[in-house]
Amino acid sequence: MGRPGFVLDVDERTPPLLMHEGEGFRLERLPLGSRVIYPPESLPSIVDLEGAIRHALAHPHGSDPLPQLLRRGMRLTIVFDDLSLPLPPMRTPDVRQRVIEQVLELAAAAGVDDVELIAANSLHRRMTPAELKRTVGERVFRAFHPDHLRNHDAENPDDLTHLGTTPHGEDVEINRRAAESDLIVYVNITLTAMNGGSKSVSVGLASYASLRHHHNVHTLRHSRSFNDPPNSAMHHSYDRMADVIGGYVPVFTIETTLNNEPFPAALRFLTRREWEWNLTDQASYLAVKRSNDLATTRLRRRIWQATEAPYGVTGVHAGAPSQVHPHTLAAVHRQQLTEVQGQADVAIFGLPYICPYNVNSIMNPILVMSLGLGYFFNLYRGKPIVRQGGVAIFYHPVPHQFHPVHHPSYIDFYELLAETTDPVMLETKYEKQFATDPWYTHLYRTSYAYHGVHPFYMWYWGAHAMQHLDDVIFVGGNRSTTARLGFRAASSLADALELARDIVGRNPQISYLHAPPMVLADVR
Amino acid sequence: MSTARPARPVSCEELAGSHVLLTGATGFLGQATLERLLASYPDTHVSVLIRPRGERGAADRLSTLLRKNVFRPLSERLGADELVRVVRERVTVIEGDLGSVALPADLDVVIHGASTVSFDPPVDEAFRTNVSGVATLYEALAGSPHVVHVSTAYVAGTRKGVVAEAALDHDVDWQLELEMALAARADVERDSRRPEVLRRALAQADEQHAKAGPQSTAAAAERLRTKWVTRRLVDYGRTRARSLGWPDVYTLTKALGERVAEQRWAHTGRPLSVVRPAIVESALRHPYPGWIDGFKMADPLIIAYGRGVLREFPGLPDSVLDVIPVDLVINAILAAAARPPATGPAYLHVSSGASNPLTFQNMYVLCREYFDNHPMPDGDRGHVEPPTWRFPGSQQVELTLHAGERVTALAERVLLRLPPSKRSQDWLTSLGRQQQDLGQLREYADLYGVYTRAEVIYDDTRLRELHAALPAQRATEHGFDPTVIDWRAYLQDVHCPSITATVRRAGQRRGRSTAGHRGSPSQSTSISSLSLPERTDVAAVFDLEGTIVNSNVVESYLWARLATMPRSGWLRELADLARCAPRYLYAERRDRGELLRAFLRRYAGVRADALRALVTEVLGDVLLHRVMPEATRQIRRHRAAGHRTVLITGAVDLHVEPLSVLFDEVVASRMHVKDGVLTGFLEAPPLVDEARAAWLRQYAQGHGLHLDRSYAYADSYSDRPLLEAVGHPHAVNPDSQLFRHARRRRWVVHRWGEHTGGLLEVLLDVTRADVRIDVRPDHGTRGVPR
Repeated sequence: MGRPGFVLDVDERTPPLLMHEGEGFRLERLPLGSRVIYPPESLPSIVDLEGAIRHALAHPHGSDPLPQLLRRGMRLTIVFDDLSLPLPPMRTPDVRQRVIEQVLELAAAAGVDDVELIAANSLHRRMTPAELKRTVGERVFRAFHPDHLRNHDAENPDDLTHLGTTPHGEDVEINRRAAESDLIVYVNITLTAMNGGSKSVSVGLASYASLRHHHNVHTLRHSRSFNDPPNSAMHHSYDRMADVIGGYVPVFTIETTLNNEPFPAALRFLTRREWEWNLTDQASYLAVKRSNDLATTRLRRRIWQATEAPYGVTGVHAGAPSQVHPHTLAAVHRQQLTEVQGQADVAIFGLPYICPYNVNSIMNPILVMSLGLGYFFNLYRGKPIVRQGGVAIFYHPVPHQFHPVHHPSYIDFYELLAETTDPVMLETKYEKQFATDPWYTHLYRTSYAYHGVHPFYMWYWGAHAMQHLDDVIFVGGNRSTTARLGFRAASSLADALELARDIVGRNPQISYLHAPPMVLADVR
Repeated sequence: MSTARPARPVSCEELAGSHVLLTGATGFLGQATLERLLASYPDTHVSVLIRPRGERGAADRLSTLLRKNVFRPLSERLGADELVRVVRERVTVIEGDLGSVALPADLDVVIHGASTVSFDPPVDEAFRTNVSGVATLYEALAGSPHVVHVSTAYVAGTRKGVVAEAALDHDVDWQLELEMALAARADVERDSRRPEVLRRALAQADEQHAKAGPQSTAAAAERLRTKWVTRRLVDYGRTRARSLGWPDVYTLTKALGERVAEQRWAHTGRPLSVVRPAIVESALRHPYPGWIDGFKMADPLIIAYGRGVLREFPGLPDSVLDVIPVDLVINAILAAAARPPATGPAYLHVSSGASNPLTFQNMYVLCREYFDNHPMPDGDRGHVEPPTWRFPGSQQVELTLHAGERVTALAERVLLRLPPSKRSQDWLTSLGRQQQDLGQLREYADLYGVYTRAEVIYDDTRLRELHAALPAQRATEHGFDPTVIDWRAYLQDVHCPSITATVRRAGQRRGRSTAGHRGSPSQSTSISSLSLPERTDVAAVFDLEGTIVNSNVVESYLWARLATMPRSGWLRELADLARCAPRYLYAERRDRGELLRAFLRRYAGVRADALRALVTEVLGDVLLHRVMPEATRQIRRHRAAGHRTVLITGAVDLHVEPLSVLFDEVVASRMHVKDGVLTGFLEAPPLVDEARAAWLRQYAQGHGLHLDRSYAYADSYSDRPLLEAVGHPHAVNPDSQLFRHARRRRWVVHRWGEHTGGLLEVLLDVTRADVRIDVRPDHGTRGVPR
């Protein structure tokens, strides 16, 4: 059992603290009295993972054991989380491969012939064959690709089915093959508390018609936070949809949780507490920092994107989604939850190089916004880390770069921001246009582009934070891109605090969320 | 007629009751004369001989004339309506050409002011106006009115010392010269069609325009030929003039014109006065100080100096620049007109050089003082600093000028061959500016060199006598004594402010408007915010390579090749490509069609279905990597506005498949397939340069599209015909030649592709793609030689 998470009060003895900033990092000395929220230390991983999976499949929660659900002649669809999980991509074999292989063995043993594997990529870009192979393993890939291992296509009317509406009038439209199966087996990785549970099928296999009911400004402003399902309007909607889906097709879910080992050994210093760095950590910090700073932008990106996480699995739970998810959430909280007393005036976040939507890609300014004001700001349970009307300071260079293949609609969305950054305005005026643009749809379906509406979702992701905060400052941010996003740039933390002074005064209470590794602040 | 009306001594009470015919009334001197007659000679009737020009008849041209500045004070004094009434009452308009109209029989005075305005016209034009025109007029005149023949002081030619107010001393046979000059055009036109000349024009046109296609080349060659004809005729004139002792054909023909007047008019004893003004410039007093019509001889020099263009000039500091205000000239003409000579022709120099000389050095000092105190605006960069002249001598200036011309010409050749980039095009822009400046300097040096190097004084004894003969009450208002001119006051308070006023008003920077330069290249964001008019009867035509994708036929071949071969074979493939590169580059320079044909041969032996699969699996994404997002945005904006979107490309249709959804019409090259295998030949000639424009015209006709309201986007000079076929041409990341052309035509220039993937990314993606498609029936070895 690792040490629990804790909150450090910065004093004279506190060394400079590690801060991620895109494809780089730095050591930053925080003002005295600042609080630093550290995650619990990484938990030990399950040694006999194969055994744990076997056990979970045989002893599920709220369901018959999987072998009993499988029978000859049935239609079985195995759905798995896509490329956006986990971050960074985990070292192979991926836990999804381990689970899928066992499920397929059981299916084969039961004589199930009609098996399809579908990546639950929703409106994300399709996974490339290489990425699919990496996720499900060589053996499965060879046996099923391309005809029986594929990406979900949310724009293929022939492969979607409308299952009805929830009591709230929300359309439920999901993948036809999955909906018309005798059983859906969903293979999940729950990296943060927002993943898994009802979200898996109702989002991962849905279409725009369905997603727009919860991926909108109103819902996100009432999801406080979306990492705390009981208090998340978005999750309530997922639950209602999952109920509708459950009425049509049984879902057997296998949820896995990971420990806090996102970086390989050479980058171990990124996960250790700074005052505990030994000589090796300090030397590797210097070496990595120096060579990283010297590398060209492209080379740097290549290197970071090639990083694989040595994640260990901390839990495997299978069975009915609603019964499984509490166990999963408990495991996530065990690994990530740190109790914090009271809100701060200023919250500081160091944004890393990766978010769910730039795996093997480029983190564009809109994704920076969504990572900062969406994901990181919402890493709380109870109350936000920063008080209403406070200031958030992010570390990120916010470069003006876009991936031409993966994010074509983002490039055009960025132009809209010159007109307005108000999520409601963007939603009412432009969402439909982008969502139904035939060119984006074409690229989403045939190339590797995110759906036309996706940048809007990214912007909504930050809607709650934008409403909550009085100012947002990016340390080291590109001035023009930061300004386009509607934020301010500062060249140093001192300058950022100087900018924030009008709002929070001369001696604000500062909290720094020390992530990654992942931490969920339980603010009391 | 002469018997009926003997040469009536026109009274000094100044032309009262007489009938005056004015030729060249629309010219600088002519309009001033007409104004003066109307304003100060109430009892004089005027006939004006005006040629109709185009649609506009003589009366129309006269009424336009009345709205010009020269009539402003009179119009203000009388009122515009009254002026029109006075003109109707006192002016008879004779419409037509000399020789073709009947002239009034009751003329008392003829003031012949019609003349070419240019110093260096083609030889036949100069002779036609200045020699044969004079002869025609004097033959057409009836009776024996007093002819005032307006000539120029410079008819004296290239000589030094004092020139007397007398008949010119030469024995040039004007009839022979006239005959030869008029025949020269036929000779030159014939010469210009000689194969050697045409070949040279073709070669030159080919070098610059071959990429744009054969019709463009032919048109350019024909333009070069016409230009050659003009240049040659100018040369005929100038050289003949110099061989006879005149600096240019203007002065030669004016001199011969005098001889015509003497022989055809005065020899029978009819009265003739020859008035020879020097350099006529803006008015000293009348109709108002500073009045001038357009730029006269010295003015372009003064303005170019003020704009800092003339860093040095090939003039002699002590030579006299014989400037005379226009109102003094008019006064002299009218005074002479009122006093027909008793015997033989009278000659009159209206000049300042003898009694009140202005040296070139002094003129420079006065102008410099003026521009020091009132510098010219330099666009948004403050003001121009007037250059300091050291008068190094014409030799030195000529050497510097020549070197400058050589250097800029060479630099342009180099720049046009550089790969297009922001920087090379900025250089090209500033080079163009320098060339323009140098060109102007060259023009001035050639034209005015003689005048600013003159070591001649025009005797003005008779002029002063005539002035002295004026009644005292008229001396101030109607006098022409050059000694009254205070050069400092005239140049600094009257002349320079007058000629620089329009330039200053236009806010021009060094003679060019700044907008066109600052406007290009445009920012893509500002362009995207412009809305496109919604209509369905227009097309938006896009070129592919370089316009929509930052890629080319070679690149797409390379990806196709590399994606399907083991890495061990890459080196050989790349080496092979490099070996052929010079050949392809040469073909590309000459003609895109040639390049396509040569290059597509490499596909020989490839299975068509396999290539298609490869495009779907890998190359489509490679293409999308190389797409310029601004381009797809623009295409879709056109679509949203209802425009018909058209892709015209020489690339192979299979390769452009991934983009086809953006277009209503895709025109691409199709490769010939035999037994499912590509033969390496095209099914039809590739659609390049003019073929594109031709195709588009036909397409527009077939679909009822308005090309003048349509749009085209392209990157290469070879697309010039396509771009010129539409009303809204857009140059996208243009090559240097197209950039130069677009800048001259003020086309919109875009810089697209900020987020386009680089070659390295694509290479890594191609290698990462997990596809093994065997495109060759014979498993990798090439069956067809290239």
